[in-house]
Formats: sequence, structure tokens, C-alpha cells
Amino acid sequence: MDDLREIEAVLEAVLFAAGDSVPLEKLSEIIGQDKKTTAGILSGMELKYKNSNRGIMLRQLGSNYQLCTKPEYEEYIAYLGTGRKKQGLSQAAYEVLAIIAYHQPVTKAYVEQVRGVNSDNVIATLLEKNLICEIGRQEGPGRPKLYGTTEEFLRVFGFSSLNDLPKLSMNEIQVVMNDVPVD
Amino acid sequence: MGFEHTASPADVCTIKLKNFEGPLDLLFYLIEKNQINIYDIPIVEITDQYMEYLFAMQQMDLEIASEFLVMAATLLHIKSKLLLPSRKEEEQEEEDPREELVVKLVEYKRIKEFAEILKEREQIWSRVYYKLPEALPESVFEEILDVSPLMLKECYLKCMQNYYERQNDVTHKMERILRREQVSLRLKIKELLARLKRGVKLCFSQLYNLKHMSRIEVATGFLATLEVAKMGRATIYQKEEFGEIYIEPKVQRKG
Repeated sequence: MDDLREIEAVLEAVLFAAGDSVPLEKLSEIIGQDKKTTAGILSGMELKYKNSNRGIMLRQLGSNYQLCTKPEYEEYIAYLGTGRKKQGLSQAAYEVLAIIAYHQPVTKAYVEQVRGVNSDNVIATLLEKNLICEIGRQEGPGRPKLYGTTEEFLRVFGFSSLNDLPKLSMNEIQVVMNDVPVD
Repeated sequence: MGFEHTASPADVCTIKLKNFEGPLDLLFYLIEKNQINIYDIPIVEITDQYMEYLFAMQQMDLEIASEFLVMAATLLHIKSKLLLPSRKEEEQEEEDPREELVVKLVEYKRIKEFAEILKEREQIWSRVYYKLPEALPESVFEEILDVSPLMLKECYLKCMQNYYERQNDVTHKMERILRREQVSLRLKIKELLARLKRGVKLCFSQLYNLKHMSRIEVATGFLATLEVAKMGRATIYQKEEFGEIYIEPKVQRKG
């Protein structure tokens, strides 16, 4: 299988059949190419989907890939009458998610420190919605659970990887603080 | 310091109070409302406003979470520090008591901004549809063998050789099994039933004794005894623990 177009067709068929996200490793195994080459082909496909008149697109979610519809065709899909009505998150949930996304792996105690308020319920909700998950325990007293974001988080908020998060440099604060005149 | 009350806190409370996510949220709201430079918070005024909100909450019989009270205490502490006259020499070294609060607020502000970004992104990306994962069969591949007739022949010979070897092996095993089966339970039961037919009470130790029988024969004899009792053809009993086992024939009712 050397013809690029043929490989792309294979990947398209496999991704369509899977429906779910498929790990890069699996895809490279299927087309018999190394991971780097496969990732290159996939990002090429991503661009082609994006720039041509296609109803579907290819998304990268961490090291997985998945096909989905383009957001702009939602109103037409709505005619299918799937009746899907997604309930948004609470303000608190967005805040907790924001903290976890930036500081992961992070403990509940840290989240609460930043928000200045108890966050038990919100964390439970986010776990239930599979937007965050336990990714280990912190060494030290009590060995508190450490939380991080999931693939579902990337999917729901349209990120390809955590590197996509808008940069917020925390060092900036120190600089500004030093410039503050003391009155 | 462009700082003024735009509305009485009580008015705002009625609409807004319950929506505060915590003390930082309330503080942040006050700072935004009054268009304060976050790095230069007029602590006296902000503390007063914060306290006014807490009082209003009290009046409305809202339960004030401990977090709000902790923040109130922090604010009052900072306020008192700022109000105290500071000694000139120390001024240079002294840290701004507001610093910790500012760092917290800046961090909180960033998080709030990112939370807003998340909310917007979710709106866009919730319009995307995914196909449900396909329930694929375990494996859709069939193995196709690429063999020449010669290889086929070799495979056949190898198979047959294995077969004969295994066959011999089994024969060997069977012999051992058969030898072991020399004392058969069936035979022992038959023997016992024949003896019981005479209608005499029997002693187990006389029937089966290790002195002139193999261990396996005695054991099989014991199993036969139990089996016969189960069949209802004999009653077995002991007078004492580890004592003699008596086997008494039971008269079979016919019909």
C-alpha cells in the first residue's frame, strides 16, 4: 500500500467504520506505516477535509483520531430529529474545569484554594460527565487524588491536545506585582 | 480613586446574591463594578462594601458560608494593617499586605476568563455530531494459507507422525489406567451383595483387611460398603468411634 490516495481512502474507511476515536498506533498498524508518517498523512487529511466542500471533518484528540460532522451543518442534521438537547455546565463547573485544565495533575484542595470555595459537588459532576478523571495520587500525607482532563474534554471543547489551550503565563503576575507602587 | 456606590448593596443583593460562587467571586464582582485596578485595590472601601453584602445576606436570612466569613476576616486584617501607621525605615522592606489577595484575584480572574472561553467553545463544538461506535465483530480477518502441494504433503506427514506418537503415548497410559482398575468398585459391590444375600451380619475388618489386601482394595471395599448402604441393601453401624463397622443385610421388599 504505497499510493497516498489509497492510504487516505483506507484511513477514511477505517475511521468511518469505527465511529469512535481510533489511536494513532492502531491506524499506523493498519496501513503498515510508522507512526510519524501516519500522523503526517492524517494531518494532511485534516486539512483536505477542512478546505474542501465536505460535510465531515477529521479531528485529532490527543493521540486519537475521529471523524465528525462540521459544526456549520448542525441545523440540517437537526432535521433528522435526533432531539439531542445538551445541558450546559454550571458556572462553577466551567471554573473548576478551567483550573484543572491548566494545572493538571491537580488536587481538589488546590482547586478549592484557587476558587476559595468548596468544590466537592462540581468535581463529582465533572467526573460523571467524563470531562475529568483521576490520574493518580500525590505523594505525601493523605495521598490525595490527582485530577486531569479527559479525551472527552478535548472533544467537547474543540481542542486537539492540551497544547491547544490558550497560553496564560502566570509569571506575568510577579512582574506586574513588582511594578505596583506602594501607597 | 474613582470609587462610588452606584446602587445600594441591598438592591443588588436581591438579584445577584445567590449567584456568587464564593468570596472571590463576590470580591471580583465588586472590583469589576467599581472599575478598580486590581493591582491597586482601595482596601478600605472594598472591605466596607464586602461587609455590607454580608450584612444584607444576613438580613435576607441567607446562610453565609464559612468561606465568605474567612474572606471578611482576611479583608479586615489587611485593612487594619494598612490603617496602622507604618514606620518609615521599615517601609521599604515591608510587603504590601494586599499582595497575597491580589495574586489570588489575578489567578481567579484568569480562570474566569478561561471558563468563559470554554463556555464559548462548547457552544460551537456541541454542534458537531459523531457516529456511535460500531459494534465490530471480534476479528473480520480470515487467514488464507499460501502453501505448495509439497508443503501440504510435509504437513500431512508431520501430522500423521504426531498422531502415531500420541497414539502410542495414550496406549501406554491406558495400560496404566487399566492396571489400576484391577480393583473395580463394580466388582466389589457385586461381591458384597453376594455375601449379604446369605443374610449374615458382616464385619468390615474381616471382609477387608490390610494384612492380606492392598490398600486400594480396602479403600474400594469401603466405597462398595457405602454404596451398598446407599442402595438400601444394607445398614452399616458402629458401636463406638473408630470401632468395628458392622454391615447388616436389609431384606428387600419385592413388588
